[in-house]
Amino acid sequence: MLKYTIQRVLFMLLTLFIIIGMCFMLIRLLPPATLDPTDIHWETIEARREAMGYNKPLLVQFGIFLRDVFTKWDWGVSDKLYVGREVFSIFAEKMPATIIVNLYSIILSIPIGILLGIFAALKKNTWIDHTISTLTMVVISVPSFVYAFVIQYIFSYKLGWLPFVMESGTDYFTWKMFISMLPAVMSLSFGVIAGFARTTRAELTEVLTSEFMLLARTKGLTKAQATIRHALKNCMVVILPSIFGQFIGIMSGSLIIEKIFSIPGVGQLYIKSINAPDYPMFIMNTAFYTTIGLVASIVVDISYGLIDPRIRMGSKK
Amino acid sequence: MRKIKSIVAMLLALAMMFAVVSCTKTGDTDTSASSSTDDTTKTEVKVETFEGDFTWKDSVSTLATNWNPHTYETADDAYPLDYIVSGLYSFIYNDELNPVEGKDPYAGYVIVPEMAAEMPVDVTEDIKAQYPQFNIPADATSGYAYKIDLNPDAKWQDGTPINADTYVYSMQKLLDSKLINYRATDYVDGDLAIAGGKNYSLSGRSVKADNSVDGKAFVYEWSTITKSGDGTYITPDGAKAYFAMSATLPYLGDSLTTYAAYNPNHEALMALADEEGYVPVTDESIELLKAFITSDVWGNEPEEYLGYYTVYDKTYDEYGWDTVGCLKTGDYQITLVLEKSLSGFYLLYNLSGNWLVYEDLYESCLTQVGDGYVSTYNTSVETTMSYGPYKLVSYQEDKAMRFERNENWFGYNDGKHVYVDPEDGKTYPMYQTTAIDCQVVEEAETRKLMFLKGQLMGYGLQAADFDTYRNSDYCHATPATTTFFLILNGHAAAIQTREDAEDFDTTKYDLQVLTLESFKRAMALSYDRDLFASTVSPARSGAYGLIGTAYVYDPDTGARYRDSDQAKQALCDFYSVDVSKYNSLDEAVDSITGYDVEGARDFFAKAFTEAVELGYITDTDSDGKSDQMIRMEYAISADSDFMTTTINYLNTKLAEVLVGTPFEGKIEFYKSAPYSNAWSTKIKSGLSDTVLAGWQGSQLNPYSLTDLYVNPSRAYDAAWFNAEAVDLTFTVKGEEITMNLKQWSDALNGTAVELNGKTYNFGDGQADVETRLSILAAIETKVLLGYNYLPMLEDGSMALLSQQVYYVVEEYNPVMGRGGIAYTKYNYNDAEWAAYIAEQGGELKY
Repeated sequence: MLKYTIQRVLFMLLTLFIIIGMCFMLIRLLPPATLDPTDIHWETIEARREAMGYNKPLLVQFGIFLRDVFTKWDWGVSDKLYVGREVFSIFAEKMPATIIVNLYSIILSIPIGILLGIFAALKKNTWIDHTISTLTMVVISVPSFVYAFVIQYIFSYKLGWLPFVMESGTDYFTWKMFISMLPAVMSLSFGVIAGFARTTRAELTEVLTSEFMLLARTKGLTKAQATIRHALKNCMVVILPSIFGQFIGIMSGSLIIEKIFSIPGVGQLYIKSINAPDYPMFIMNTAFYTTIGLVASIVVDISYGLIDPRIRMGSKK
Repeated sequence: MRKIKSIVAMLLALAMMFAVVSCTKTGDTDTSASSSTDDTTKTEVKVETFEGDFTWKDSVSTLATNWNPHTYETADDAYPLDYIVSGLYSFIYNDELNPVEGKDPYAGYVIVPEMAAEMPVDVTEDIKAQYPQFNIPADATSGYAYKIDLNPDAKWQDGTPINADTYVYSMQKLLDSKLINYRATDYVDGDLAIAGGKNYSLSGRSVKADNSVDGKAFVYEWSTITKSGDGTYITPDGAKAYFAMSATLPYLGDSLTTYAAYNPNHEALMALADEEGYVPVTDESIELLKAFITSDVWGNEPEEYLGYYTVYDKTYDEYGWDTVGCLKTGDYQITLVLEKSLSGFYLLYNLSGNWLVYEDLYESCLTQVGDGYVSTYNTSVETTMSYGPYKLVSYQEDKAMRFERNENWFGYNDGKHVYVDPEDGKTYPMYQTTAIDCQVVEEAETRKLMFLKGQLMGYGLQAADFDTYRNSDYCHATPATTTFFLILNGHAAAIQTREDAEDFDTTKYDLQVLTLESFKRAMALSYDRDLFASTVSPARSGAYGLIGTAYVYDPDTGARYRDSDQAKQALCDFYSVDVSKYNSLDEAVDSITGYDVEGARDFFAKAFTEAVELGYITDTDSDGKSDQMIRMEYAISADSDFMTTTINYLNTKLAEVLVGTPFEGKIEFYKSAPYSNAWSTKIKSGLSDTVLAGWQGSQLNPYSLTDLYVNPSRAYDAAWFNAEAVDLTFTVKGEEITMNLKQWSDALNGTAVELNGKTYNFGDGQADVETRLSILAAIETKVLLGYNYLPMLEDGSMALLSQQVYYVVEEYNPVMGRGGIAYTKYNYNDAEWAAYIAEQGGELKY
């Protein structure tokens, strides 16, 4: 297991290096935005590109970038979106808003989703199951921004209970801030709740019909005891990795939800850095998200073995 | 000491006794102030005061991230500057305190000193004698140098005085060649070009210098660039010459790489280029590029045009600050020396901005990156220093910013920032707003709901809102300067090439008919412009000429170009309206809708006859109908509902016009692939047939627009409309002058044009306004009669204004707008507004 983990981490680092290298080259190969010939500033723009080193050979630029990151942990300075600011600090400043909103969403969604799934599985083929399953399908099919507008209209406009957009400031743990995050949290949660409900129902339904469940009942366990002690534990082989995945995914944020509720998070940063183009910001984002994705896949893979001891990773036999 | 205190106390008591008491709107406060722009007629006026907080609640899609006056680039970034900066001069309404002879109150404007203490004094003669390094022309007696006394009360928000040193330091930093500031260009290449500023800003910089001057002339004629010993070509000064493949060329407005698809030698040239896309000029590269530019596809340019694609190595000389025309001539006095003459309105207009930075803070914000610098000055609360009516008090990136009154701003206490309300005749202080809260709300739908809940001051109408709100009392329309026109392809060579392609079936389709003037004239008469606007973009209005209704031809009077007789006659000429059939020119112009179905059908019939005769199309069964379809590619940058609506409208209305003509059911527009930024290249090169495109100009200088239509580096139709081959004869002060359109445009914009041994210059200050107006209208007429541009839409916007506030002057003024935040008044303070919203059930009706 240790050997397997080390192997995966090494491959991850290699993959990360290759992806960053490719993205570094590709973004710089894109032609700069076409300059308006009537704009008298074009000469200055060209001169700045030259001075910033963007006209140097790409490999030289990449070398300078790697040197700065490894020797000074310097990811560069934004020269378009947040002029003069270090991209790492911008990213670090914007990350909390994204994490907190998504964290609230997951804390709300997972128990509700799993409970609904259990309930539907236990009431399989009854009107309760049909209702939950149908609602789950509907909710999964509708994109989150639709809920966002509905929530804004009902709770913010008609009822006036919630603010339209997130409160400004960085006091993320005040009551006022929490209330202002609720519309976004609710919009993000519907889909997650439905996802967990569906997965849990499907897994539990299958497990509940297994022979070992029959054995458990014949041993004298009540249905509730058998379900909690045996059925749910088996379901977790599938559910728990997806919870890990959700937790890691919260850092990527939601582009559209952040936009609708004016959440000053990282969700839009990537797109903006490409459009600007802000090379240092783009590479910082690329490195971060690539790392997150690669780490997530390793964590999920390893988690299978931790949840179910019968599953062993990396064994050649 | 005690005596002094007693005297001061007595003086204060006396002052209080003489204070004039007046009631506020709420009737419980009073104050006094003096106000006049002329000290000799200074009179004491009662100034009302306001009680409570008045917060302007604003929203933006993109929040400013860099409002450094030396480096900001976008309008979004300029947002805070409206509040934290004061110009040397400012515009105010001509109310009773600041009357303008012959103008009704609030019908015009007055320019007054703001950060300056007095109006600028022309010292051209003195400076010319004293500072020969500024190269003021020997025959110039005015317009090149101005002494400006500075307002001694001006301070930074922390109370530090702003004096001549501040101005000089700030200009020095702005133009510093190492900082390569984006806004430096405004002060070295713009109208307010500081003498010596260009050289100073380029000091010691090594560049690939362009061999064309603004895409119009050569630095070095192509014939003077010669082969050196190593086989590469050099300029007469010995600098190595290159063809620029990747860099933007002023002549093209694009890079050569943009046109790679049409250049069969592109790959071969790129193989010779260095990593930055520069190809050394050699016999081989000359042959490769020459083959392309002299080809049919490229419009058969002569060989000497290779000079337009050439750059050369250049290292600028070092220049000291003493060569720059920004001088401290007193503790509170500066003198600006200009590269080109500027006077009157345009001088003051250009001085309504400012370039000041706070020295200590500015220095601490600079960071070196590579060979250049970046600055964090004015990117956060800590790095922002205001000298305007408001100061930044909080800022969160991509989220919100808040401004509050800058109590150290001189304007709150100088007694000059007041106005007489046209409604009640009382005098009020400007800037009633006590704070500005601006937050990011990207979704229009969210903005609307927030506005209806009273949480925002304004809401810009979206297409879906027009039916509901366009007639609201709170809805304000604001014209803009962009005119959108349909460009019609007339590039005969490109069309021929397209028709020669294997996949083009000439028995079924034709494009050559597009080149016929009769066809274009028919198209020009096929669309009701206002109906088109209301269908595809309700916030906009129909456009009839190339120059929109927002443009002012005489800033001194505010007279609008489209209201002039010359401009009206231009429209009548373009739409073939016989003025003699109407009672007046106004009536004739009012009759123009752009839609003349009979006229259009006649021209389509004529186009058919001509096209058959020329062999463009056939009528094999002699049924009087074209055998070929005319399918026009509409170049889209990206697909959108707007594009779909526009093309559907164009097709539907055209089909109606074509009924009974030889082209019935035979002409249609279709969408191109999404071309992104390449759409303009497609249009210019005749590879796409039409597009709705537009030009935006300076509202107070419509004259500069002419260059957009006659300059080959700018005009969309340059490949099939040669402005230098179109003569225009015009009589100026009894002298009949014939020049080509390009020459007229250059002369109108201040270039001295040599013709038959005489020099003509009709630029600002060189010719009277009426003459310039007539020339402008004549050029517009000539360009319109080329029928390559069909004006369709005039830009504009509509927005709802909150019931909490109102504009002192509702009518839009091209110079003043609606007065901005200085002239915005409140019906309710913040507390009253909250109560009012609750009274309305939390939902407001507009």
